[in-house]
Amino acid sequence: MNLYEPYLARVTELVDETPDTRTLRLAFQEPELARTFDFKAGQFGEYTAFGAGECTFCIASSPTRTGYIECSFKTVGKATTALRALNVGDTMGFRGPYGNHFPLERMEGSSLVFIAGGIGLAPVRSVIWNALDLRDRFKNVTIVYGARSVSDLVYKRELAEWAARPDVTLRQTVDPGGETADWTGDVGFVPAIVEKAAPSAANAYAIVCGPPVMIKYTLPVLTKLGFAADRIYTTLENRMKCGIGKCGRCNIGPVYVCKDGPVFTAEEMAKLPQEF
Amino acid sequence: MNARTITHAQLAALVTDLVAAGTAVTAPARAADGRLDYRHVARLEDAVLGGGLPRLSLKALFLPPTEPLFSFRLSGPDVAIDSVPTSFPPHVVLGAVPCDAAGVQALDKVMDWDYRDELWFGRREATTIVSVACSSRDEACFCGATGGGPTATRGADLLLVPLEGGFAVEVVTPKGEAFVAVHEERFGSAPNEADVARSRATLTGSRVEPVAPLAPVTAWLADHFEDPLWADVALRCHGCGACASVCPTCHCFDIVDEPEGVTHGTRRRNWDTCQAGRFTLHASGHNPRADQHVRFRQRVMHKFSIYPARFGELLCTGCGRCSRACPGGMDLPEVLRTIAERAAAPAGGAA
Repeated sequence: MNLYEPYLARVTELVDETPDTRTLRLAFQEPELARTFDFKAGQFGEYTAFGAGECTFCIASSPTRTGYIECSFKTVGKATTALRALNVGDTMGFRGPYGNHFPLERMEGSSLVFIAGGIGLAPVRSVIWNALDLRDRFKNVTIVYGARSVSDLVYKRELAEWAARPDVTLRQTVDPGGETADWTGDVGFVPAIVEKAAPSAANAYAIVCGPPVMIKYTLPVLTKLGFAADRIYTTLENRMKCGIGKCGRCNIGPVYVCKDGPVFTAEEMAKLPQEF
Repeated sequence: MNARTITHAQLAALVTDLVAAGTAVTAPARAADGRLDYRHVARLEDAVLGGGLPRLSLKALFLPPTEPLFSFRLSGPDVAIDSVPTSFPPHVVLGAVPCDAAGVQALDKVMDWDYRDELWFGRREATTIVSVACSSRDEACFCGATGGGPTATRGADLLLVPLEGGFAVEVVTPKGEAFVAVHEERFGSAPNEADVARSRATLTGSRVEPVAPLAPVTAWLADHFEDPLWADVALRCHGCGACASVCPTCHCFDIVDEPEGVTHGTRRRNWDTCQAGRFTLHASGHNPRADQHVRFRQRVMHKFSIYPARFGELLCTGCGRCSRACPGGMDLPEVLRTIAERAAAPAGGAA
């Protein structure tokens, strides 16, 4: 066994979120590991499709839901195509958990504002369930989620669940032209919907994840709403191979996304060289 | 630790002892084309000690250009993993160039940063490095600027300094001391200190280092990530990565699966380079380092700013191989000199 050997895990469930995005649920084969495996929301791992290679995703499930982990990914390249070819019962590999996490412990007693776009909901979903499973420790929970079109919305069953909860405010939106005839949510880009929803910044933290352009235009809105830069969290994604600070691939200037991140505050992001 | 001596005859016997006992001995040796490479040698006559810089650095002994991380066997829905060994048979490097030994030690830091790379340290622990003082230099050399020098001991367990008929043996580490103890009969008494001093002076006296002190360079880099200089100095860079492949400290790697038929395969770690355009290419098509000059900036930053900031030392030993290997004529000492000049210029720039 060395650092680069993955744990073996079996696919126990798969969900097609959108035509090209799938969620896999993994259970570790080693019973002791399955029992003791622990991580924090925001951490990532290297997922193996044997023969095709590894890819880097966050752990999309919540640490409060034990006995399995989940990942959600878009089929884009060689390894994600091979991961998509796996069926329930097949074996895959996992290395992790790696990186830092969303400091949920620091957010206790505060309101939480989750903002996500597209597949960017995956890391946020981990924090959302983590917080909802400890609901009495947090004040208001607001979720603003958007995708290009209705068919691009991921975790649809959970969106319905959150929409039905009286202790969660959910705003769903799709880009103009992405709506269907029976769409009851908003139409518009995420930053504009955040501005409309206008969640209070009083004793609140914002967790933002999505395409770079969404993050770019959402940060000024949050600032306008009164969120301080050290109370806005996001995750960065860079190409990675090792995930443990050795392969030299994910640096942004002096920052190793794999070890210093992937979670950063807007304040930390502002100090980074523009190379991500 | 006490210095010793070793005659050429004793050293020849030592090599024969080691090889007979099954210990691999790697030393600079002539390849068929006349160039020097670190190769396994069976006898001292095959080694070229103090003959100059081998073509590739010592890095490959500890981080091979390609190495298996594990193998896997697929059987229906099941997968079995076959581990690779993380302990290695004893190995002696004889005649390491000081700048190469220094490179290996510099890399220990990144290989043991929270996560300890067992493959790297397995080889490190199995290997005794005997450096030999460097008596050759050319215009690409700049070890002195990086804290090295012809008799530098960083990364070495033992250092050989030439004397009439043999070498003075400087014992650098406890591992080196243990090695001498095991092969006690092959070593002589303490050298005459005046002879050693004379030999050292000959080796160091002729050095002219072509680069200014690097501290101001590192300081300048810290706040000049964005600077027109980068596009200027990288114009000749083709992004081929020859510099990284010959470099004693460039350690970036890729991890790939190599299927062997349908049911078997091996995951391998292969050398990679930040100079390659696809190095940072995301699956989405986005590339944070889309231009060659920002990739060159990454190489300079990593060596002279990022690594010092994270690990307290330079990721460069001044061996000069990158300048010699570059097909485009890129010259790292020249780039460092240019940066040093900028750093020394009064704030406000050209005016």
